[in-house]
Amino acid sequence: MSIVINEPGLIAEPEPIRSRGGILWDTIRRRPSATIGATILSLIIACAVLAPWIAPYGLHEQVGPPFGAPSWQHPLGLDDGGVDMVTLLMWGARISLVVGFAATLVSMLIGGTIGVVAGYFGGKVDGILMRITDYFLVIPDVPLMIVVAAIWGPSLFHIVIVIGILLWTSTARVIRAQVKSVRERVYVKRARALGAGHVRIVMRHVLPQVAPLLIANTVLTIAVAVFDETALAFLGLGDPSRISLGKVIENAFQRAAISAGAWWAIVPPGVLVALLILSCSLLGQALEDALNPRLRVAHVSARGFRLRPLVGRNADAV
Amino acid sequence: MSALLETEDLQVWFDLPRGGTLHAVQGVSLGLERGERLGLVGESGCGKTTTALALMGLLPASATVSGRVLLNGIDILRGAEETMRPHRWVDLSMVFQGAMNAFNPVKTVGSQIVEVLELHHRAAGRAARVRTGELLAAVGIPDDRAGRYPHEFSGGMRQRAAIAMALACNPSVLIADEPTTALDVMVQAQILELLDALCRDFGLALLLVTHDLPIVAQLCDRAAVMYAGELVEHGSVDTLFHAPRHPYTRLLFAATPDLHGDGLPASIPGAPPRLDRQNEGCPFRPRCDRAFARCVDERPLLRTVAPEHGAACHLNDVAAEVAH
Amino acid sequence: MRGADYLLKRTAFAIVTVFIAVSINFVLFRLAPGSAVSNLSRVPHATQETRNALKQQFGLDKSRGEQYVLYLKQLVHGNFGVSFANSQPVAENLRTAIANTLPMVLLGTLFAIIVGTFTGVIAAWRRGTGAEGATVTSALAFYSMPTHWLGLMLVILFAGVLPTGGMTDDFLINPSWWTHVQDVLKHMILPSLTLGLVLFGEYTLIVRSAMLETLGEDYILTARAKGLKPWAIVRKHALRNAMLPIATLVALSLGYIVAGAILVETVFSWPGIGRAVYDAVLARDYPMLQGAFLVLTVSVVFFNLVADLLYFRLDPRITQ
Repeated sequence: MSIVINEPGLIAEPEPIRSRGGILWDTIRRRPSATIGATILSLIIACAVLAPWIAPYGLHEQVGPPFGAPSWQHPLGLDDGGVDMVTLLMWGARISLVVGFAATLVSMLIGGTIGVVAGYFGGKVDGILMRITDYFLVIPDVPLMIVVAAIWGPSLFHIVIVIGILLWTSTARVIRAQVKSVRERVYVKRARALGAGHVRIVMRHVLPQVAPLLIANTVLTIAVAVFDETALAFLGLGDPSRISLGKVIENAFQRAAISAGAWWAIVPPGVLVALLILSCSLLGQALEDALNPRLRVAHVSARGFRLRPLVGRNADAV
Repeated sequence: MSALLETEDLQVWFDLPRGGTLHAVQGVSLGLERGERLGLVGESGCGKTTTALALMGLLPASATVSGRVLLNGIDILRGAEETMRPHRWVDLSMVFQGAMNAFNPVKTVGSQIVEVLELHHRAAGRAARVRTGELLAAVGIPDDRAGRYPHEFSGGMRQRAAIAMALACNPSVLIADEPTTALDVMVQAQILELLDALCRDFGLALLLVTHDLPIVAQLCDRAAVMYAGELVEHGSVDTLFHAPRHPYTRLLFAATPDLHGDGLPASIPGAPPRLDRQNEGCPFRPRCDRAFARCVDERPLLRTVAPEHGAACHLNDVAAEVAH
Repeated sequence: MRGADYLLKRTAFAIVTVFIAVSINFVLFRLAPGSAVSNLSRVPHATQETRNALKQQFGLDKSRGEQYVLYLKQLVHGNFGVSFANSQPVAENLRTAIANTLPMVLLGTLFAIIVGTFTGVIAAWRRGTGAEGATVTSALAFYSMPTHWLGLMLVILFAGVLPTGGMTDDFLINPSWWTHVQDVLKHMILPSLTLGLVLFGEYTLIVRSAMLETLGEDYILTARAKGLKPWAIVRKHALRNAMLPIATLVALSLGYIVAGAILVETVFSWPGIGRAVYDAVLARDYPMLQGAFLVLTVSVVFFNLVADLLYFRLDPRITQ
């Protein structure tokens, strides 16, 4: 699903595509929504990666009573096991990000491959692949994930696979559309006329053009993967041996944090997840917009065109 | 008696997404008399469509406009949207490009013509539907088609319906922006004939905006040539064809393919200047075959070079000096 | 009839999708490791008769292929097996659960559609102003919040003011019909609101997007040229056309609604089908899990088909 989150006042001028990597970086610098998204995402990733070194306390270290209130030493209080929340959040972010990235990688590989094959070969192959994609699109993700996770058993690996094999549909569609348009470009036709093999053409001509869009789509998929992980964890299907942000929320829920009045056990992890999803959505959407400008000038809006008053003239009465 | 429709120093700027503005129309002054047919010509991006839209105030929120648009001597641009809207369709109406979807695809064509009749209190209900039938008949569309959707019309029929809709409220000026673009050649001829007949029968003034010179020759008495947002020459079609006083006009008309001649159609090498920055001197100089020193830093002004004939080129000053 | 083949195609598609979902269900549960999963007759505390009956109905001692056929047959007859948790027929449990879920989800979705459409139109209309920025930001914020977490937030905020658990008040003895309805509605507020808030964020963005696209269309310029006032253009032309992509995209959000329903019902202990899924997972009640999954999937497919038909009705251009 494509949402237009773009800057006001844009005229329908597609931006000139310089280098492929360049346009991604360009967008991040130029569009505020992309900048904000990229910044927040980088901060969270940095904290998560550096957690073992910068976390204030130990992950399993009890530093106070269960649901200890926030204080100077523990700005976000303690969880039900007396563990510092800030520490929990940092470590939790690690797992959530790992799951998010890994599941997205799986879905990107599946979706990207299907999209490229369908878009490149077209015809019957395209028809069959897209039909399959359509079926998967309609079948609701989360119930299926729940069922598979319940049967297969909770482990990080299983969760990653389960999420990954259900998220590829939107990637496949987007990539397929892009591949189709690239396929019609002059240099691809020339390469085919010269007798280049399919693999070569795909690797050298198609993939580089498709890569930026793939990256944009990947970022958006990470947002969904993180959400799915928190949902599965909340329903008790997360990996019990790892603490993800979703697990933190689930723990708090199970141990009746609300009745104990310990809002700090619930609010911060959710805010962090929301920030993570928000930053990915902002960044991914801005990138997608930059690569696929579908903008047109709105012919009507609340504000009308402006009038610059005449300089040094006597205006007639209307 | 003042002209029916006049512009004085019309300027339009568009805000650009990354800051700065695009100066799309740079001081256009033209006049249209009652019943007259004026062709507004130039290549793509020269500002002719923007000028046409500005006449009716159909510019987006990213536009800034200055200058005057005089309808029967009164400046209707003065109050921006509020003073322009009352004149839309009842005094000035417009027919858009043949390729465009002038009609809302989810409503019937007839209902959209009824809409203008009711909006401007020309007719209502049953009477409006009858009048719609008459209008469609006047452009050669059987009235049982009124209940059909736009996608059920061919391109030519849609354009004729659009013309019928444009005339529904008896305007005095019809602006036609590339009315035959994207239509088949045979259909083009029909549309042009239709425009010709209707303008004659209803005494309409016609502003024909197009890059297609032969249709200007066919339909119009006078023409104005735009380049890079400016008006570079205006005069009778005959004069512009045979005795142009601006190099661009000359090259433009020479570039028109001639079915009967032997010569190859000439194209003008190079590209128009960018409109998002200030330019020095004559905008056409880089592509001009007669440019000289003065053209580099002095902008030529639009001067009258003969009765009813104006051009913006330094060469005319030289000729005038030589003549003296 | 116009577009009869379109309708047939979409219906056929829906049927095939259901078929695939059913098959996936079968494969997952019967071929998964562990006999507890594949053996529907292993109902705890059930009589031997019940177990034998189940064995027979589902052919649990026969080959996989025969099991598949019998499975399909039983489904058509509405037999989903017997719940491991309460030894009742799964179909019965599901029936009650669905009846509880529908009003709650409907209320939340309607709220989201109405408020989302309103804010989306305003955001597109007031393009480039502060109002648009604020609307988009808040929509994005709600869209990014995990559904269950938002539910917990609302519990924290409204505990004591509104009921936060269950569908009815346990202390009401023999309430009149009207009191009962009021009681249920009171309990429905928070769960529906949670679902609605998360959806509204998504819908605002979709509607805004669709409106902006529509406002850039040629016929909008023509409408303006005809002398229509700006808001009249939105009302008479833009809204109608923007509804088309909105209808499809709402259909695509059905999966999201289902996920939301499961999470919301868990947080608020709402006795609906989402909660049934949660309980089934907890208790490893595989027949219930299977049944619930099937029901959810079929519902989504069904509503997708409805959306297709709606789209067909709205857009006269579709003939095939």
